Amino acid sequence: MQQLTVPAAIARQLRWNAVADLLFRRLTLLFAIFVAVLVFAILVALLVGAWPALSRFGPGFITSAQWNPVTEEFGALATIFGTLLTSTIAMLIAVPVSFGIALFITELAPAWLKRPVGIAIELLAAVPSIIYGMWGLFVFAPWFGDEIQPFLTSTLGNWPLIGALFQGPPMGIGLFTASLVLAIMVIPFIAAVMRDVFELVPPVLKESAYGLGCTTWEVTWNVVLPYTKVGVVGGIMLGLGRALGETMAVTFVIGNAHVLGLSLFMPGNTISSALANEFAEAHGELYVSALIALGLLLFLITFIVLALARLLLLRLSRQEGRTT
Amino acid sequence: MIVQSLQRPQGIRPPQTAAAVEAKPTEARAAAGTQAATIKLSVRNLNFYYGSFQALHDINLDIPAQRVTAFIGPSGCGKSTLLRTFNRIYELYPRQRAEGELLLDGRNVLDRRQDLNLLRARVGMVFQKPTPFPMSIYDNIAFGVRLYERLSRYEMDERVEWALRKAALWDEVKDKLKQNGTMLSGGQQQRLCIARAVAVKPTVLLLDEPASALDPISTAKIEELISELKKDYTIVIVTHNMQQAARVSDYTAFMYMGRLVEMNDTDTLFTTPANKQTEDYITGRYG
Repeated sequence: MQQLTVPAAIARQLRWNAVADLLFRRLTLLFAIFVAVLVFAILVALLVGAWPALSRFGPGFITSAQWNPVTEEFGALATIFGTLLTSTIAMLIAVPVSFGIALFITELAPAWLKRPVGIAIELLAAVPSIIYGMWGLFVFAPWFGDEIQPFLTSTLGNWPLIGALFQGPPMGIGLFTASLVLAIMVIPFIAAVMRDVFELVPPVLKESAYGLGCTTWEVTWNVVLPYTKVGVVGGIMLGLGRALGETMAVTFVIGNAHVLGLSLFMPGNTISSALANEFAEAHGELYVSALIALGLLLFLITFIVLALARLLLLRLSRQEGRTT
Repeated sequence: MIVQSLQRPQGIRPPQTAAAVEAKPTEARAAAGTQAATIKLSVRNLNFYYGSFQALHDINLDIPAQRVTAFIGPSGCGKSTLLRTFNRIYELYPRQRAEGELLLDGRNVLDRRQDLNLLRARVGMVFQKPTPFPMSIYDNIAFGVRLYERLSRYEMDERVEWALRKAALWDEVKDKLKQNGTMLSGGQQQRLCIARAVAVKPTVLLLDEPASALDPISTAKIEELISELKKDYTIVIVTHNMQQAARVSDYTAFMYMGRLVEMNDTDTLFTTPANKQTEDYITGRYG
C-alpha cells in the first residue's frame, strides 16, 4: 500500500508522537498490572505468614473462640464475630442516618444551610480515627455507661428474644459502644457519597416526578434512589469497608477481650484491634502466625463483602429488566 | 414598550392590557373561528421572578378547554416559565416566585392554600427531554396512578393499557412491559412520558417542547397524538418550532421579552398577525 506523503519535518514529528504514545500506553499498562500484582503479593505474603497457624489448627482456627497465647491455642471466632457484629450494627445505624443527611442536603435544606452542612460532613470525614477513639473512650463511653446503658437494660433488656443483647454491666466500653463510634465515623463517608450521587440526578427527572404530584419522599424513594443505586451501594460499601478495617477507634472502646458473648455491653474484639494490640507483644512463631492468619481472614471478609455488593447490584438491575 | 394585543373567543373577559385597541381589526375573525370553547385556565396579571430578575410581565390570557394552545417566541421570552407556573413546578427552586392569579376552572391555584399534589394531579406535564423513571415500562405508568388511586391488579393492568394506547405506544411495548423504561428509543420514551401523564387522568396537559429532542418521524407521531388527546384534555404546548405550532394548535400566543405580545386563533395569528413584532417573528425576520 502506498503511504500518504508528508513533509519530512512533519513525518519526524509524527514518528516521535507515535513512539511517545506507545511509551505512554506501556507505562499506564505497567501501573495497572502493578495493582494486580500488589494484591496478589499481599495475599501470598499473608498466606505464607499464616501457614504455620493454619496448618496447626486447620478449620478449627475459624470455629474456635479460644484465644490463649500462654497455651498457644488460637481460634479466631470471637474476633470474626466481633468484626462482623460491630460493622453490622454500625451500618444499621449509619445507612439510614446518612440517607437522611444526604436527602436533607439535596432536597430539603434551604440554600444557605446546604454548604455549611456539606462542609461539616467533609470535615467529619477528615477527622483522624484516633480522635474518634479518644473521644469515644474519654467522653462518649462514660456518658454512655452512666446514662444510656442502664436505660437500655431496663427497657429493651426486658424484651423477649433481644433482651439478652442488652444485659450486662454498664461499663461504657464494649461491642455496642464500638459499633456506635464506628457508625459515627462512617456516616460522613456514606453521606458524602450519597449526596454527590443524589446531586447527579437530572433536575428534569425529579421535576417530572414532582410534576406527577409526588411528595419529596416518593420522589426520593422511587426515582432518585433507583436512579443512583449503583453510587449508593458504592458509598455504603466504602463505609462498610472502613468499618470492617477500622482499628484505632475500635481498639479504644471495645474492651479487647477474646470473648464470644451475646451481650452487646460486654467487651469484645475485632480482627483489626486484636492485631493492633497484640503484635507488639507476640512472642513465638505460632502467635505471630496466628495474628497474620487473622489479617488474612480480614482480607477475605472484605473481599467477600465486595463480591456480595457486586452480586446485589447485578440482581437489582436484572429485577428491573435492564438485562433480560 | 411592547404593545400587547389580545384577542379572545366570545364570552371571555376582555383583555386588561393597555393597547387592546389595536386588536380591533381581527376581533371579528377571532370570534368567528373559536365558538363555544369554555375557558379552562385564566392567567391574570401574572408576574414571575427569578430572584430579582423579572421574567414575566403582567401576563393576561385565557386557555380554552379541550383545545391546543401553543406558546411561541424566541429563546428566553418566558414561554417555558409561563408554562411552569401552571403546575407550580417552579416552586422546587427557592428563588423563583410568581405573583398574580392563575384560575383553573375559576379557582386561583396560585393561592398558598392550594394543595400542590392535587394541582399536579389535575395538571400533568411532559418535558423537553424524555424522562422515563428508572423502573419498568409498566411501573412507569402505574407509579403515578398509585399516588392517587388504589386499584386492583386487574384495574391497574387496564389503566396501564389504556394510557399506553392513548399515547399510541401500546402496540410497540405490550410484549415488554417488564423491561426498563430507559431502554426505549427517544421517541418511545417521550410517548411513555405522555402516557404516564395521561394515566393519572389530569384535565390539563402541559407540553414543554415535547418534540424538540426527537427525530421527524417521532415528532410526527407526537403531533398526531396531540390532536388525538385534545378531545379529552386541555393542552398547552411550548414550542420553538412555528410550523409545529401552526400544525397542532388551535390558538397561539406569541411572547417576547417576558411579555405576551399577541394571542389569537392559530390561523389568524399566522396569516394576519395584528402586531408588527409577531409578523417579524413568524416571517423569520428575527428571533
